[in-house]
Amino acid sequence: MDKSKKMISAVVCLALSVAVMAASASSFLAARNVPLPERGPSVTEVKMLSDWFEGVKGTNADTPVYVLQGKKEGGKMLILGGTHANEVSGYMSAFTFIENAVVEEGTVYVLPYANHSAMTHNDPGEGNIQYFTLTTKSGERTFRYGSRATNPVDQWPDPDVYVHYPSGQQLSGSETRNINRSYPGRPDGNATEKEAYGIMELIRSEGVNIGFDLHEASPEYPVIDATVAHQSSMDVASVGCMNLLMEGMQMSLEQSPTNFHGLTHREWGDNSDINVAILMETANASQGRLRGATTIAQVLGGKDKCYDLSEKLGMLYVPWNQITGAPFSGVGHPIEERCGRHLEGIKQYSEAYNEAHPEAPVTYTGVPGYSELFLEADPSELGGARLASFLL
Amino acid sequence: MKKKIIAAALALALALTMAACGGSSSSSSSAAASSDAAGSTAAVEGLKEAFAESPILLTSGGQSADYQMIGTVMSKLGMDCTVNNLATSADLGDAKTLIVVAGGSSKGLGAAGIDADGELARLTELLDGAKEKGLSIIVMHTGGEARRGDLSDKFIAPCFEKADYAIVVAAGDSDGLMSGLCAENGIPMDSINSISDVTTVLPAAFK
Repeated sequence: MDKSKKMISAVVCLALSVAVMAASASSFLAARNVPLPERGPSVTEVKMLSDWFEGVKGTNADTPVYVLQGKKEGGKMLILGGTHANEVSGYMSAFTFIENAVVEEGTVYVLPYANHSAMTHNDPGEGNIQYFTLTTKSGERTFRYGSRATNPVDQWPDPDVYVHYPSGQQLSGSETRNINRSYPGRPDGNATEKEAYGIMELIRSEGVNIGFDLHEASPEYPVIDATVAHQSSMDVASVGCMNLLMEGMQMSLEQSPTNFHGLTHREWGDNSDINVAILMETANASQGRLRGATTIAQVLGGKDKCYDLSEKLGMLYVPWNQITGAPFSGVGHPIEERCGRHLEGIKQYSEAYNEAHPEAPVTYTGVPGYSELFLEADPSELGGARLASFLL
Repeated sequence: MKKKIIAAALALALALTMAACGGSSSSSSSAAASSDAAGSTAAVEGLKEAFAESPILLTSGGQSADYQMIGTVMSKLGMDCTVNNLATSADLGDAKTLIVVAGGSSKGLGAAGIDADGELARLTELLDGAKEKGLSIIVMHTGGEARRGDLSDKFIAPCFEKADYAIVVAAGDSDGLMSGLCAENGIPMDSINSISDVTTVLPAAFK
Protein backbone atom coordinates (compact mmCIF):
# COMPACT_ATOMS: atom_id res chain seq x y z
CA MET A 1 0.00 0.00 0.00
CA ASP A 2 2.76 2.34 0.97
CA LYS A 3 4.68 1.38 -2.12
CA SER A 4 1.72 2.01 -4.37
CA LYS A 5 1.17 5.45 -2.80
CA LYS A 6 4.77 6.35 -3.53
CA MET A 7 4.35 5.13 -7.09
CA ILE A 8 1.29 7.32 -7.57
CA SER A 9 3.15 10.34 -6.16
CA ALA A 10 6.06 9.67 -8.50
CA VAL A 11 3.80 9.37 -11.53
CA VAL A 12 1.95 12.58 -10.62
CA CYS A 13 5.23 14.46 -10.12
CA LEU A 14 6.56 13.12 -13.40
CA ALA A 15 3.37 14.10 -15.23
CA LEU A 16 3.51 17.59 -13.73
CA SER A 17 7.17 17.95 -14.72
CA VAL A 18 6.41 16.87 -18.27
CA ALA A 19 3.50 19.34 -18.40
CA VAL A 20 5.70 22.21 -17.17
CA MET A 21 8.42 21.24 -19.64
CA ALA A 22 5.93 21.06 -22.50
CA ALA A 23 4.45 24.45 -21.64
CA SER A 24 7.94 26.00 -21.30
CA ALA A 25 9.16 24.44 -24.53
CA SER A 26 6.07 25.61 -26.36
CA SER A 27 6.52 29.16 -25.04
CA PHE A 28 10.25 29.08 -25.86
CA LEU A 29 9.68 27.81 -29.40
CA ALA A 30 6.83 30.26 -30.00
CA ALA A 31 9.31 33.10 -29.41
CA ARG A 32 10.94 32.14 -32.71
CA ASN A 33 7.93 33.48 -34.58
CA VAL A 34 9.10 37.05 -34.60
CA PRO A 35 6.48 39.58 -35.79
CA LEU A 36 7.50 41.61 -38.82
CA PRO A 37 6.62 45.12 -40.01
CA GLU A 38 3.90 45.67 -42.59
CA ARG A 39 5.06 46.97 -45.96
CA GLY A 40 4.87 50.76 -46.02
CA PRO A 41 4.48 52.93 -49.13
CA SER A 42 8.16 52.93 -50.13
CA VAL A 43 9.05 49.31 -49.38
CA THR A 44 10.11 47.84 -52.71
CA GLU A 45 11.72 44.66 -51.48
CA VAL A 46 12.24 42.62 -48.32
CA LYS A 47 15.60 40.94 -48.56
CA MET A 48 17.55 38.88 -46.02
CA LEU A 49 20.95 39.65 -44.58
CA SER A 50 22.13 36.42 -46.20
CA ASP A 51 21.72 38.19 -49.56
CA TRP A 52 24.85 40.11 -48.54
CA PHE A 53 26.58 37.36 -46.57
CA GLU A 54 25.77 33.75 -47.36
CA GLY A 55 27.29 32.60 -44.07
CA VAL A 56 24.16 33.39 -42.05
CA LYS A 57 21.72 31.70 -44.45
CA GLY A 58 19.39 29.22 -42.76
CA THR A 59 20.46 30.30 -39.27
CA ASN A 60 18.75 32.33 -36.59
CA ALA A 61 21.28 35.10 -37.29
CA ASP A 62 19.72 35.79 -40.71
CA THR A 63 17.39 38.76 -40.52
CA PRO A 64 15.01 40.69 -42.79
CA VAL A 65 16.25 43.84 -44.51
CA TYR A 66 13.51 46.20 -45.68
CA VAL A 67 14.55 48.13 -48.79
CA LEU A 68 12.81 51.48 -49.30
CA GLN A 69 13.65 52.73 -52.78
CA GLY A 70 13.30 56.45 -53.44
CA LYS A 71 11.63 58.02 -56.46
CA LYS A 72 15.00 59.46 -57.48
CA GLU A 73 18.56 58.18 -57.23
CA GLY A 74 20.57 59.40 -54.27
CA GLY A 75 22.57 58.26 -51.29
CA LYS A 76 22.13 55.19 -49.10
CA MET A 77 20.91 55.19 -45.52
CA LEU A 78 20.90 52.31 -43.03
CA ILE A 79 18.71 52.12 -39.91
CA LEU A 80 19.18 49.38 -37.30
CA GLY A 81 16.53 48.60 -34.74
CA GLY A 82 16.85 45.66 -32.37
CA THR A 83 20.60 45.66 -31.95
CA HIS A 84 19.55 44.96 -28.38
CA ALA A 85 16.18 43.26 -28.59
CA ASN A 86 15.07 44.49 -25.18
CA GLU A 87 15.46 48.15 -26.22
CA VAL A 88 11.95 48.64 -27.46
CA SER A 89 12.12 52.13 -28.94
CA GLY A 90 14.90 50.96 -31.28
CA TYR A 91 12.86 48.34 -33.12
CA MET A 92 9.54 50.15 -32.76
CA SER A 93 11.13 53.21 -34.42
CA ALA A 94 12.30 50.91 -37.23
CA PHE A 95 8.73 49.54 -37.60
CA THR A 96 7.34 53.11 -37.65
CA PHE A 97 9.86 54.20 -40.28
CA ILE A 98 9.19 51.18 -42.53
CA GLU A 99 5.41 51.56 -42.33
CA ASN A 100 5.30 55.35 -42.91
CA ALA A 101 8.27 56.61 -44.89
CA VAL A 102 7.85 57.91 -48.40
CA VAL A 103 11.40 58.02 -49.72
CA GLU A 104 11.92 60.76 -52.27
CA GLU A 105 15.65 60.46 -52.99
CA GLY A 106 18.09 57.64 -52.34
CA THR A 107 17.59 54.23 -50.75
CA VAL A 108 16.96 53.33 -47.14
CA TYR A 109 17.76 49.88 -45.71
CA VAL A 110 16.02 49.12 -42.42
CA LEU A 111 16.75 46.10 -40.21
CA PRO A 112 14.04 45.94 -37.53
CA TYR A 113 16.01 43.21 -35.76
CA ALA A 114 19.74 43.73 -36.17
CA ASN A 115 20.32 40.80 -33.83
CA HIS A 116 17.49 38.51 -34.88
CA SER A 117 18.55 35.71 -32.56
CA ALA A 118 18.29 38.04 -29.54
CA MET A 119 14.61 38.59 -30.34
CA THR A 120 13.89 34.85 -30.06
CA HIS A 121 14.32 34.67 -26.28
CA ASN A 122 14.25 36.98 -23.29
CA ASP A 123 15.97 37.30 -19.95
CA PRO A 124 13.81 35.36 -17.46
CA GLY A 125 16.15 36.29 -14.62
CA GLU A 126 15.23 39.93 -15.21
CA GLY A 127 11.52 39.19 -14.85
CA ASN A 128 11.03 40.73 -18.28
CA ILE A 129 7.86 40.59 -20.32
CA GLN A 130 7.77 38.50 -23.49
CA TYR A 131 5.11 40.24 -25.55
CA PHE A 132 3.04 43.41 -25.74
CA THR A 133 0.03 44.26 -27.85
CA LEU A 134 -0.93 47.49 -29.60
CA THR A 135 -4.15 48.37 -31.38
CA THR A 136 -2.91 49.69 -34.72
CA LYS A 137 -4.78 50.82 -37.83
CA SER A 138 -5.38 47.21 -38.83
CA GLY A 139 -6.32 45.98 -35.36
CA GLU A 140 -4.42 44.25 -32.58
CA ARG A 141 -0.78 43.45 -33.29
CA THR A 142 1.55 41.64 -30.91
CA PHE A 143 5.20 42.60 -30.59
CA ARG A 144 8.09 40.84 -28.90
CA TYR A 145 10.34 41.92 -26.08
CA GLY A 146 13.64 40.13 -26.47
CA SER A 147 17.06 40.03 -24.90
CA ARG A 148 20.20 42.15 -25.08
CA ALA A 149 22.19 39.18 -26.33
CA THR A 150 22.12 36.38 -28.90
CA ASN A 151 20.04 33.34 -27.89
CA PRO A 152 22.35 30.80 -26.16
CA VAL A 153 20.69 28.12 -28.30
CA ASP A 154 22.44 29.75 -31.25
CA GLN A 155 25.73 30.47 -29.52
CA TRP A 156 26.93 28.71 -26.42
CA PRO A 157 28.85 28.53 -24.10
CA ASP A 158 30.22 31.99 -23.31
CA PRO A 159 33.95 32.10 -22.66
CA ASP A 160 35.23 33.60 -19.38
CA VAL A 161 36.77 36.44 -21.34
CA TYR A 162 35.52 37.78 -24.66
CA VAL A 163 38.40 38.71 -26.95
CA HIS A 164 37.20 41.10 -29.66
CA TYR A 165 38.28 40.44 -33.21
CA PRO A 166 40.46 41.99 -34.60
CA SER A 167 41.49 44.44 -31.84
CA GLY A 168 42.16 41.86 -29.13
CA GLN A 169 40.19 43.99 -26.66
CA GLN A 170 39.09 41.93 -23.66
CA LEU A 171 35.61 42.15 -22.17
CA SER A 172 33.41 40.04 -19.92
CA GLY A 173 32.56 36.68 -21.50
CA SER A 174 28.82 37.48 -21.72
CA GLU A 175 29.62 40.27 -24.21
CA THR A 176 30.49 37.56 -26.76
CA ARG A 177 26.77 37.48 -27.59
CA ASN A 178 26.40 41.27 -27.79
CA ILE A 179 26.36 42.29 -31.45
CA ASN A 180 27.27 45.84 -30.47
CA ARG A 181 30.64 44.56 -29.27
CA SER A 182 31.15 42.27 -32.26
CA TYR A 183 31.72 44.60 -35.22
CA PRO A 184 33.35 44.40 -37.71
CA GLY A 185 32.73 40.69 -37.25
CA ARG A 186 34.26 37.89 -39.29
CA PRO A 187 32.92 35.39 -41.82
CA ASP A 188 34.17 32.37 -39.88
CA GLY A 189 33.31 33.63 -36.39
CA ASN A 190 30.51 32.80 -33.99
CA ALA A 191 26.86 33.56 -34.82
CA THR A 192 27.03 37.13 -33.47
CA GLU A 193 30.26 37.91 -35.30
CA LYS A 194 28.79 36.51 -38.52
CA GLU A 195 25.71 38.69 -38.20
CA ALA A 196 27.89 41.77 -37.55
CA TYR A 197 30.00 40.82 -40.57
CA GLY A 198 26.84 40.52 -42.69
CA ILE A 199 25.80 44.05 -41.71
CA MET A 200 29.30 45.32 -42.53
CA GLU A 201 29.03 43.60 -45.94
CA LEU A 202 25.71 45.34 -46.57
CA ILE A 203 27.30 48.70 -45.69
CA ARG A 204 30.35 48.08 -47.86
CA SER A 205 28.69 46.56 -50.90
CA GLU A 206 25.78 49.01 -51.06
CA GLY A 207 28.03 52.00 -50.31
CA VAL A 208 25.95 53.16 -47.35
CA ASN A 209 26.54 56.87 -46.66
CA ILE A 210 24.77 57.37 -43.35
CA GLY A 211 23.89 54.81 -40.71
CA PHE A 212 21.89 54.85 -37.49
CA ASP A 213 21.88 52.34 -34.64
CA LEU A 214 18.94 52.88 -32.26
CA HIS A 215 19.30 52.05 -28.57
CA GLU A 216 17.85 52.58 -25.13
CA ALA A 217 19.57 52.76 -21.75
CA SER A 218 18.71 53.04 -18.11
CA PRO A 219 17.92 56.50 -16.75
CA GLU A 220 20.86 56.22 -14.34
CA TYR A 221 23.35 55.73 -17.22
CA PRO A 222 25.31 58.91 -18.05
CA VAL A 223 25.12 58.57 -21.85
CA ILE A 224 21.38 59.00 -22.19
CA ASP A 225 19.17 61.14 -24.44
CA ALA A 226 22.42 61.20 -26.34
CA THR A 227 24.06 60.70 -29.70
CA VAL A 228 27.43 59.01 -30.13
CA ALA A 229 29.21 59.56 -33.44
CA HIS A 230 32.41 58.43 -35.13
CA GLN A 231 35.00 61.20 -35.32
CA SER A 232 34.54 61.44 -39.10
CA SER A 233 30.84 62.17 -38.48
CA MET A 234 31.25 64.94 -35.93
CA ASP A 235 30.77 67.88 -38.31
CA VAL A 236 27.43 66.52 -39.52
CA ALA A 237 26.50 65.35 -36.04
CA SER A 238 27.23 68.78 -34.54
CA VAL A 239 24.93 70.49 -37.03
CA GLY A 240 22.20 67.86 -36.55
CA CYS A 241 22.44 68.06 -32.77
CA MET A 242 22.25 71.87 -32.87
CA ASN A 243 19.14 71.59 -35.02
CA LEU A 244 17.55 69.13 -32.57
CA LEU A 245 18.22 71.52 -29.70
CA MET A 246 16.75 74.40 -31.69
CA GLU A 247 13.66 72.23 -32.26
CA GLY A 248 13.37 72.00 -28.47
CA MET A 249 14.50 68.37 -28.08
CA GLN A 250 17.29 67.91 -25.54
CA MET A 251 20.20 65.93 -26.94
CA SER A 252 23.83 65.63 -25.97
CA LEU A 253 26.55 64.65 -28.40
CA GLU A 254 29.52 62.40 -27.66
CA GLN A 255 32.44 61.41 -29.86
CA SER A 256 33.09 57.69 -30.12
CA PRO A 257 36.20 56.71 -28.13
CA THR A 258 38.86 55.44 -30.52
CA ASN A 259 40.00 52.71 -28.15
CA PHE A 260 36.65 51.07 -27.38
CA HIS A 261 36.02 48.48 -30.06
CA GLY A 262 33.18 46.45 -31.45
CA LEU A 263 30.50 49.17 -31.48
CA THR A 264 28.64 50.40 -34.54
CA HIS A 265 29.73 54.04 -34.22
CA ARG A 266 33.38 52.95 -33.99
CA GLU A 267 33.67 50.02 -36.41
CA TRP A 268 31.34 51.22 -39.20
CA GLY A 269 33.48 54.35 -39.43
CA ASP A 270 36.77 52.47 -39.21
CA ASN A 271 35.89 49.60 -41.57
CA SER A 272 33.85 51.15 -44.37
CA ASP A 273 33.52 54.33 -46.42
CA ILE A 274 30.40 55.41 -44.55
CA ASN A 275 30.24 59.21 -44.13
CA VAL A 276 28.14 59.34 -40.98
CA ALA A 277 27.92 56.64 -38.27
CA ILE A 278 25.57 57.50 -35.43
CA LEU A 279 24.16 55.72 -32.39
CA MET A 280 21.32 57.21 -30.36
CA GLU A 281 20.13 56.39 -26.83
CA THR A 282 16.77 57.04 -25.18
CA ALA A 283 15.77 56.54 -21.53
CA ASN A 284 13.94 53.30 -20.76
CA ALA A 285 12.87 52.49 -17.20
CA SER A 286 12.72 48.77 -17.93
CA GLN A 287 16.48 48.77 -18.64
CA GLY A 288 17.50 50.11 -15.26
CA ARG A 289 18.84 48.61 -12.07
CA LEU A 290 16.78 51.00 -9.95
CA ARG A 291 13.45 49.96 -11.45
CA GLY A 292 10.47 48.29 -9.88
CA ALA A 293 8.73 45.26 -11.39
CA THR A 294 8.95 45.10 -15.19
CA THR A 295 5.46 45.54 -16.56
CA ILE A 296 3.97 46.50 -19.89
CA ALA A 297 2.93 49.84 -18.37
CA GLN A 298 6.55 50.43 -17.46
CA VAL A 299 7.95 49.27 -20.82
CA LEU A 300 5.50 51.31 -22.92
CA GLY A 301 4.30 53.92 -20.48
CA GLY A 302 7.77 54.65 -19.21
CA LYS A 303 6.51 55.17 -15.69
CA ASP A 304 8.01 53.69 -12.56
CA LYS A 305 7.56 54.70 -8.93
CA CYS A 306 11.11 53.66 -8.15
CA TYR A 307 12.35 56.15 -10.75
CA ASP A 308 10.10 58.86 -9.31
CA LEU A 309 11.98 58.32 -6.06
CA SER A 310 15.35 58.01 -7.80
CA GLU A 311 14.82 61.41 -9.40
CA LYS A 312 14.09 62.96 -6.02
CA LEU A 313 17.33 61.45 -4.73
CA GLY A 314 19.24 62.98 -7.64
CA MET A 315 20.32 59.62 -9.03
CA LEU A 316 19.27 60.09 -12.67
CA TYR A 317 20.91 61.63 -15.71
CA VAL A 318 17.63 62.64 -17.39
CA PRO A 319 14.70 64.66 -16.11
CA TRP A 320 12.13 62.05 -15.20
CA ASN A 321 8.71 63.55 -14.71
CA GLN A 322 9.08 66.92 -16.40
CA ILE A 323 10.71 66.40 -19.76
CA THR A 324 12.25 69.68 -20.93
CA GLY A 325 9.92 71.42 -23.37
CA ALA A 326 6.99 69.03 -22.87
CA PRO A 327 3.61 70.66 -22.32
CA PHE A 328 2.69 68.11 -19.63
CA SER A 329 4.40 66.53 -16.65
CA GLY A 330 4.24 63.25 -14.77
CA VAL A 331 4.30 61.09 -17.89
CA GLY A 332 7.73 59.51 -17.36
CA HIS A 333 9.37 58.51 -20.65
CA PRO A 334 6.64 56.85 -22.70
CA ILE A 335 7.35 54.92 -25.88
CA GLU A 336 6.10 57.88 -27.94
CA GLU A 337 8.76 60.16 -26.47
CA ARG A 338 11.45 57.55 -27.03
CA CYS A 339 10.48 56.66 -30.61
CA GLY A 340 9.86 60.36 -31.29
CA ARG A 341 13.42 61.13 -30.25
CA HIS A 342 14.89 58.44 -32.51
CA LEU A 343 12.81 59.38 -35.53
CA GLU A 344 13.43 63.11 -35.05
CA GLY A 345 17.14 62.34 -34.69
CA ILE A 346 17.17 60.41 -37.96
CA LYS A 347 15.41 63.34 -39.66
CA GLN A 348 17.71 66.08 -38.33
CA TYR A 349 20.96 64.17 -38.76
CA SER A 350 20.02 63.06 -42.27
CA GLU A 351 19.16 66.66 -43.18
CA ALA A 352 22.55 67.76 -41.83
CA TYR A 353 24.13 64.98 -43.90
CA ASN A 354 22.23 66.15 -47.01
CA GLU A 355 23.52 69.68 -46.49
CA ALA A 356 27.11 68.39 -46.32
CA HIS A 357 26.72 65.83 -49.14
CA PRO A 358 24.33 67.25 -51.73
CA GLU A 359 25.80 64.83 -54.30
CA ALA A 360 24.16 61.81 -52.60
CA PRO A 361 21.06 62.94 -50.73
CA VAL A 362 18.59 60.78 -48.84
CA THR A 363 15.24 62.51 -48.37
CA TYR A 364 11.89 61.24 -47.18
CA THR A 365 8.56 62.39 -45.81
CA GLY A 366 5.69 60.86 -43.87
CA VAL A 367 7.52 59.68 -40.75
CA PRO A 368 6.20 61.10 -37.48
CA GLY A 369 8.78 62.90 -35.35
CA TYR A 370 9.10 64.12 -31.78
CA SER A 371 6.23 66.60 -32.08
CA GLU A 372 3.74 64.30 -33.79
CA LEU A 373 4.44 61.35 -31.55
CA PHE A 374 4.95 63.10 -28.22
CA LEU A 375 4.56 66.86 -27.88
CA GLU A 376 1.23 67.02 -29.73
CA ALA A 377 -0.21 63.94 -28.01
CA ASP A 378 -2.91 63.98 -25.40
CA PRO A 379 -1.34 62.53 -22.23
CA SER A 380 -4.04 59.83 -22.24
CA GLU A 381 -2.69 58.52 -25.58
CA LEU A 382 0.85 58.05 -24.28
CA GLY A 383 2.08 54.58 -23.46
CA GLY A 384 1.36 52.93 -26.80
CA ALA A 385 -1.93 54.24 -28.22
CA ARG A 386 -0.40 57.26 -29.94
CA LEU A 387 2.45 55.22 -31.45
CA ALA A 388 -0.02 52.55 -32.56
CA SER A 389 -2.03 55.18 -34.45
CA PHE A 390 0.95 55.53 -36.83
CA LEU A 391 1.35 51.77 -37.38
CA LEU A 392 -0.43 49.87 -40.15
CA MET B 1 10.54 25.20 18.24
CA LYS B 2 14.31 25.47 18.06
CA LYS B 3 14.11 25.17 14.29
CA LYS B 4 11.52 27.95 14.12
CA ILE B 5 13.72 30.28 16.14
CA ILE B 6 16.74 29.53 13.92
CA ALA B 7 14.64 30.10 10.78
CA ALA B 8 13.34 33.41 12.12
CA ALA B 9 16.87 34.49 13.04
CA LEU B 10 18.13 33.61 9.56
CA ALA B 11 15.25 35.51 7.93
CA LEU B 12 16.02 38.54 10.08
CA ALA B 13 19.72 38.35 9.18
CA LEU B 14 18.81 38.15 5.47
CA ALA B 15 16.51 41.15 5.76
CA LEU B 16 19.23 43.16 7.51
CA THR B 17 21.75 42.24 4.79
CA MET B 18 19.36 43.45 2.09
CA ALA B 19 18.69 46.69 3.96
CA ALA B 20 22.43 47.27 4.22
CA CYS B 21 22.83 46.81 0.44
CA GLY B 22 20.04 49.29 -0.23
CA GLY B 23 21.54 51.79 2.16
CA SER B 24 24.92 51.82 0.52
CA SER B 25 23.62 52.28 -3.02
CA SER B 26 21.40 55.19 -2.17
CA SER B 27 24.23 57.11 -0.60
CA SER B 28 26.59 56.89 -3.58
CA SER B 29 24.76 59.06 -6.08
CA SER B 30 27.04 61.36 -8.00
CA ALA B 31 24.12 63.59 -9.01
CA ALA B 32 23.08 63.93 -5.37
CA ALA B 33 26.61 64.84 -4.44
CA SER B 34 26.71 67.48 -7.08
CA SER B 35 23.45 69.04 -5.91
CA ASP B 36 24.81 69.09 -2.36
CA ALA B 37 27.70 71.11 -3.73
CA ALA B 38 25.37 73.98 -4.59
CA GLY B 39 27.18 77.22 -5.15
CA SER B 40 26.43 80.69 -3.87
CA THR B 41 23.17 82.31 -4.83
CA ALA B 42 24.76 85.77 -4.95
CA ALA B 43 23.59 87.93 -7.85
CA VAL B 44 25.63 87.85 -11.01
CA GLU B 45 25.59 90.50 -13.72
CA GLY B 46 25.44 90.02 -17.45
CA LEU B 47 28.00 91.42 -19.88
CA LYS B 48 27.59 95.17 -20.33
CA GLU B 49 29.95 95.87 -23.22
CA ALA B 50 31.96 94.06 -25.85
CA PHE B 51 35.53 93.32 -24.81
CA ALA B 52 36.87 90.40 -26.85
CA GLU B 53 38.73 90.42 -30.14
CA SER B 54 39.51 87.99 -32.93
CA PRO B 55 41.34 85.77 -33.74
CA ILE B 56 39.88 83.16 -31.43
CA LEU B 57 41.18 79.83 -30.16
CA LEU B 58 38.35 77.47 -29.21
CA THR B 59 39.02 74.48 -27.00
CA SER B 60 37.24 71.98 -24.81
CA GLY B 61 37.25 71.88 -21.05
CA GLY B 62 36.63 68.21 -20.36
CA GLN B 63 36.39 66.86 -23.93
CA SER B 64 32.62 66.80 -24.26
CA ALA B 65 31.52 67.39 -27.85
CA ASP B 66 29.90 70.67 -26.83
CA TYR B 67 32.98 72.53 -28.10
CA GLN B 68 32.35 71.07 -31.55
CA MET B 69 28.80 72.35 -31.51
CA ILE B 70 30.02 75.80 -30.51
CA GLY B 71 32.56 75.54 -33.33
CA THR B 72 29.69 74.82 -35.72
CA VAL B 73 27.76 77.85 -34.43
CA MET B 74 30.80 80.11 -34.73
CA SER B 75 31.55 78.86 -38.20
CA LYS B 76 27.94 79.63 -39.24
CA LEU B 77 28.32 83.09 -37.70
CA GLY B 78 31.49 83.61 -39.73
CA MET B 79 33.65 84.11 -36.63
CA ASP B 80 37.41 83.75 -37.12
CA CYS B 81 38.14 80.73 -34.99
CA THR B 82 40.72 77.97 -34.68
CA VAL B 83 39.43 74.80 -33.03
CA ASN B 84 41.87 72.65 -31.04
CA ASN B 85 40.44 70.41 -28.35
CA LEU B 86 43.89 69.59 -26.99
CA ALA B 87 45.39 73.09 -27.20
CA THR B 88 48.18 74.07 -24.83
CA SER B 89 49.75 77.51 -24.31
CA ALA B 90 52.08 76.69 -27.22
CA ASP B 91 49.03 76.78 -29.51
CA LEU B 92 47.86 80.25 -28.51
CA GLY B 93 49.75 81.80 -31.44
CA ASP B 94 48.31 85.19 -32.31
CA ALA B 95 44.93 84.48 -30.71
CA LYS B 96 43.45 87.38 -28.77
CA THR B 97 40.59 85.43 -27.22
CA LEU B 98 40.46 81.95 -25.75
CA ILE B 99 37.07 80.25 -25.55
CA VAL B 100 36.78 77.18 -23.33
CA VAL B 101 33.60 75.08 -23.51
CA ALA B 102 33.43 73.26 -20.20
CA GLY B 103 31.87 69.84 -19.79
CA GLY B 104 33.32 66.43 -19.08
CA SER B 105 32.75 63.33 -21.17
CA SER B 106 34.33 59.98 -20.49
CA LYS B 107 33.77 59.03 -24.14
CA GLY B 108 35.32 62.32 -25.26
CA LEU B 109 38.32 61.85 -23.00
CA GLY B 110 38.72 58.37 -24.45
CA ALA B 111 38.42 59.73 -27.98
CA ALA B 112 41.05 62.38 -27.23
CA GLY B 113 43.38 59.87 -25.59
CA ILE B 114 43.67 61.79 -22.34
CA ASP B 115 42.45 61.14 -18.81
CA ALA B 116 40.63 63.57 -16.53
CA ASP B 117 43.73 64.52 -14.56
CA GLY B 118 45.70 65.09 -17.76
CA GLU B 119 42.87 67.23 -19.12
CA LEU B 120 42.78 69.30 -15.97
CA ALA B 121 46.55 69.83 -16.11
CA ARG B 122 46.28 70.86 -19.78
CA LEU B 123 43.53 73.35 -19.02
CA THR B 124 45.41 74.86 -16.08
CA GLU B 125 48.52 75.32 -18.20
CA LEU B 126 46.52 76.77 -21.11
CA LEU B 127 44.49 79.17 -18.99
CA ASP B 128 47.60 80.35 -17.12
CA GLY B 129 49.38 80.85 -20.45
CA ALA B 130 46.43 82.81 -21.85
CA LYS B 131 46.29 85.02 -18.74
CA GLU B 132 50.01 85.66 -18.98
CA LYS B 133 49.72 86.68 -22.64
CA GLY B 134 46.80 88.96 -21.85
CA LEU B 135 44.16 87.10 -23.86
CA SER B 136 40.48 87.56 -23.11
CA ILE B 137 39.02 84.33 -21.74
CA ILE B 138 35.43 83.30 -22.34
CA VAL B 139 34.17 80.16 -20.61
CA MET B 140 30.94 78.49 -21.69
CA HIS B 141 28.84 75.67 -20.29
CA THR B 142 26.26 74.75 -22.89
CA GLY B 143 25.47 71.11 -22.17
CA GLY B 144 22.77 71.83 -19.59
CA GLU B 145 21.83 69.36 -16.89
CA ALA B 146 23.24 66.41 -18.82
CA ARG B 147 26.71 67.94 -18.65
CA ARG B 148 26.87 68.07 -14.85
CA GLY B 149 28.00 65.48 -12.34
CA ASP B 150 31.32 64.49 -10.85
CA LEU B 151 33.32 64.43 -14.10
CA SER B 152 32.01 67.71 -15.55
CA ASP B 153 32.13 69.50 -12.22
CA LYS B 154 35.82 68.71 -11.97
CA PHE B 155 36.50 71.13 -14.84
CA ILE B 156 33.98 73.84 -14.04
CA ALA B 157 35.64 75.73 -11.18
CA PRO B 158 39.18 75.74 -12.65
CA CYS B 159 37.81 77.19 -15.91
CA PHE B 160 35.24 79.63 -14.55
CA GLU B 161 37.56 81.13 -11.95
CA LYS B 162 39.88 82.33 -14.72
CA ALA B 163 37.19 83.65 -17.06
CA ASP B 164 36.62 87.25 -18.09
CA TYR B 165 33.11 86.37 -19.20
CA ALA B 166 30.88 83.32 -18.91
CA ILE B 167 27.93 82.01 -20.90
CA VAL B 168 25.83 79.28 -19.30
CA VAL B 169 22.76 77.31 -20.40
CA ALA B 170 20.46 77.82 -17.42
CA ALA B 171 19.40 74.18 -17.05
CA GLY B 172 22.98 73.28 -16.18
CA ASP B 173 23.16 75.81 -13.38
CA SER B 174 20.05 74.97 -11.40
CA ASP B 175 22.18 74.54 -8.27
CA GLY B 176 23.87 77.92 -8.81
CA LEU B 177 27.38 76.46 -9.02
CA MET B 178 28.48 78.53 -12.01
CA SER B 179 26.59 81.72 -11.17
CA GLY B 180 28.05 81.40 -7.67
CA LEU B 181 31.60 81.14 -9.02
CA CYS B 182 31.02 84.15 -11.30
CA ALA B 183 29.48 86.22 -8.50
CA GLU B 184 32.35 85.41 -6.13
CA ASN B 185 34.96 86.32 -8.73
CA GLY B 186 33.19 89.37 -10.20
CA ILE B 187 32.86 87.72 -13.59
CA PRO B 188 29.97 88.85 -15.84
CA MET B 189 27.79 85.89 -16.82
CA ASP B 190 24.89 85.57 -19.23
CA SER B 191 22.43 82.77 -18.64
CA ILE B 192 20.74 81.46 -21.79
CA ASN B 193 17.91 79.00 -22.33
CA SER B 194 19.47 76.93 -25.07
CA ILE B 195 22.74 76.47 -26.90
CA SER B 196 21.06 78.12 -29.90
CA ASP B 197 20.98 81.41 -27.93
CA VAL B 198 24.76 81.47 -28.23
CA THR B 199 24.19 83.03 -31.64
CA THR B 200 23.09 86.26 -29.96
CA VAL B 201 25.18 86.49 -26.79
CA LEU B 202 28.57 85.36 -28.11
CA PRO B 203 28.90 87.85 -31.01
CA ALA B 204 27.87 90.62 -28.58
CA ALA B 205 31.03 89.97 -26.56
CA PHE B 206 33.25 90.85 -29.53
CA LYS B 207 34.27 94.41 -30.40
